[in-house]
Amino acid sequence: MINRASKFALCLLALPALVVPALCLAYLLMRGLPGLDSSFFGLSTLEQSRDTASLSNQHGIFPQIMGSVLLSALACSIAMPLALGLSLHNQLYAGRRSQSLMVHVLTTFQSIPPLVYGLCGLVVFVHLLQWGISLAAGAIVLAMIVLPVLTLNTIHALERIPTALTDSARSLGMSAGQIIWHVWRPKAWRSLLTGLFLAIARTLSETAPILFTATVFSGVIWPDSLLSPVTSLQTHIFYLAQEAVDERILAHAWSSALILVTLVVMFSVIAHFLNRHSSGNE
Amino acid sequence: MWLRGWIMLSVLTSIALIVLFVGFLIHASLPFFSEYGVSPIIGREWYPYEDLYGFLPALVGSAWAIAIALIIALPCGLAAAIVSVEILPLRYQSTVNLGIDILAGIPSVVYGLLGIALLLPWLENNLDLLTGHSLLAAGLLLSVMILPTITRLSQDAFRDIDNSYREAANNLGLNWSQQLVAVLLPQAWPSIRSASLLATGRGLGETIAVMLVVGSIDRLPDPWYNLLTPAQTITSRIGREMGEASVGSDQWSALMACGLVLTLCVAVLSIIAHTPHKRAAHD
Repeated sequence: MINRASKFALCLLALPALVVPALCLAYLLMRGLPGLDSSFFGLSTLEQSRDTASLSNQHGIFPQIMGSVLLSALACSIAMPLALGLSLHNQLYAGRRSQSLMVHVLTTFQSIPPLVYGLCGLVVFVHLLQWGISLAAGAIVLAMIVLPVLTLNTIHALERIPTALTDSARSLGMSAGQIIWHVWRPKAWRSLLTGLFLAIARTLSETAPILFTATVFSGVIWPDSLLSPVTSLQTHIFYLAQEAVDERILAHAWSSALILVTLVVMFSVIAHFLNRHSSGNE
Repeated sequence: MWLRGWIMLSVLTSIALIVLFVGFLIHASLPFFSEYGVSPIIGREWYPYEDLYGFLPALVGSAWAIAIALIIALPCGLAAAIVSVEILPLRYQSTVNLGIDILAGIPSVVYGLLGIALLLPWLENNLDLLTGHSLLAAGLLLSVMILPTITRLSQDAFRDIDNSYREAANNLGLNWSQQLVAVLLPQAWPSIRSASLLATGRGLGETIAVMLVVGSIDRLPDPWYNLLTPAQTITSRIGREMGEASVGSDQWSALMACGLVLTLCVAVLSIIAHTPHKRAAHD
């Protein structure tokens, strides 16, 4: 009797945790789907798109999507090799003390708010190095944000490999490079890929750090070089949300949000299933 | 040898990044502290045009917002963790986790949009306010945002409890709720504690969503428990004013000092969250 009552009470209390987010997603779909018409994607004729001219040019939402994807891809391609190198150092050369120091430093840096990394990028890259608001500054800032997470994930993935395997590979006389390629890579690639996809999802969803370092509201279709500004979905939604009085602008914001969430969810779902397989294999 | 070179290069780059980051924080906020001292941290007024840089309104705002968020999210998240680990059959757990993963991935700007379009009008209508922009709105929004963090980490806490504890409790004839209160919760407590500390850090650093709903007015709540007026948090202040502050001005370095204070708070929380956790694991 008491058991029933307490279980029921707990379920009631837990309900918001599962229902509220589902409602948020449902609402997002409801508001975002109607706006996904041809003019949103910039496919309509010039005449139709003229009345939404203030929001989008003839390219629709594509510049924003491209900007987000470009920033994310660049950030991850900077962070991933670094994370791999760091975790290999941790596994191959570091002593116990420096191993634990490294994990402590990484967990602390992981907790630092992305906004502060944005400030750092603004001071160092945008002003000190005179890059201006640019793709490169944003990508490096985002890389700094995901580097701790990515490295910790890689370290855990390598640590899960049984030491017996590594030891026997060593006793066979394999070099470090051979061990990494023939022993560790087949065991760890799923977890590494999981981490990478999570990092992509993370870089796609960060807004604050790129607001001052990489993006402008409009006027950019395709960045000319690493040192030119981009537009991104995240900051696009932010700017539109600030103009929340106009119903049309709001509708545009919802549709952009739907696209962004679809992108992010896609990557986190892939990561989720990869992770499930990798834990199922062991 | 390329392997060694690559590893050395990435270690050196990372160290350089860390030095760069710490150096920037100190270098950028030092002018402010050397000119105004540390007294602005408890100053009540923030008017950049009159050279008044009091941090207190934003600090109080951040504290209130995260307090509201924790009061709501902690019981809900904990309950969700208990339900999903201890009550739900094993085969549903993966589905629940997928749901939580998706939630955790929703970008904060989307939550901000939801806050503006749903939460603010709702607050305006139901509480009869002039504007929904308030600490309450920020707290409610933050609670939804830190919920996945708390749920996920508490789930891990319950999963990590060895089954022998559950069996022993069963053999002692404890019923389910007694087991929960007397055995499982005490065992999971250290991890739950660090989960809430980490969630606090996450919430304190959350910028975009808070910025969109908090109102961004530098005023102490009056009276101190009035959560229904527009206010300011540290992150929303930085986000709002960074764009307009001119490089190298007092306001600029004051904002950097805000960033430094925020970083210190969050770093301390993270260190506390991780330290006793290890000790418990050693016992």
